[in-house]
Amino acid sequence: MTDGSRDDLAARRGVERKVYSPAEDSGLLADAIAERGRGRLLEVGTGSGWVAERATAADAVTEVVASDRSPHACRAARERVTTGGGAGSGPSFGVVRADMVAPFADSVFDTVAFNPPYLPTDPENEWDDWMERALSGGESGRELIEPFVESVGRILAPDGVVLLLVSSLAGYDAVLEYAAGCGFDTDDPVVVEESYPFETLSVVALTPLSGKSDN
Amino acid sequence: MKESLMDILCDPLDKSDLDLEVDERDGDEIIEGRLIGSVTGEVYPIEDGIPNLLPPDMRDDE
Repeated sequence: MTDGSRDDLAARRGVERKVYSPAEDSGLLADAIAERGRGRLLEVGTGSGWVAERATAADAVTEVVASDRSPHACRAARERVTTGGGAGSGPSFGVVRADMVAPFADSVFDTVAFNPPYLPTDPENEWDDWMERALSGGESGRELIEPFVESVGRILAPDGVVLLLVSSLAGYDAVLEYAAGCGFDTDDPVVVEESYPFETLSVVALTPLSGKSDN
Repeated sequence: MKESLMDILCDPLDKSDLDLEVDERDGDEIIEGRLIGSVTGEVYPIEDGIPNLLPPDMRDDE
């Protein structure tokens, strides 16, 4: 596809070419972590590592792990670990290159945070570089959200919480319905929410329904 | 990566334990080395303090 569509997509979020720079959605996820994050926290798809670094300052968070599939993102996040003001003090902060939650052990995280790539994109406009992967949620906008919601329960402690950023562009109701189908309590889940001209961004807290009946 | 991370990592292929081999250390940080699947034998490199735990078929992406 032409460079035009690539630039359009990047321009929509004002991003650099390889690693997603912190934007409104990042700030919202960091706010939600400050409010609800606790214990050992994993940020999936950390990008520049900005949200993960902010998470190390959250009162109830004791350990932060940041993961990303992109080598560029991992290096950017690792730079924050080694040069960050809190290096040596505060919660431990580590970076792991990973595909979603695949290399993490069962039930080890109290909090899992994710700002997924969610922009719905035309399948014919695929250019397959790191920035596209940081932004595109496929045709529905939910191509990464759904496998995440399906697999995250395994690594979550029984009383753990998932903090998921959901854009109206990816379909808020469709995401919440999917999460409910994967065994999460989705009653009154909104932690923080902001409306913008073209989308509403919400961070929802999803908790496992284990032990409760479906109704 | 800190050695304590071993408690929460597993082989992405089958969720079995990983063994750690260290080439270079800086205090409690492991800078260079590898993680090895205790069942699969798959080798996952640790470079510049970052363990690469992508499954082998995704690992060559740069």
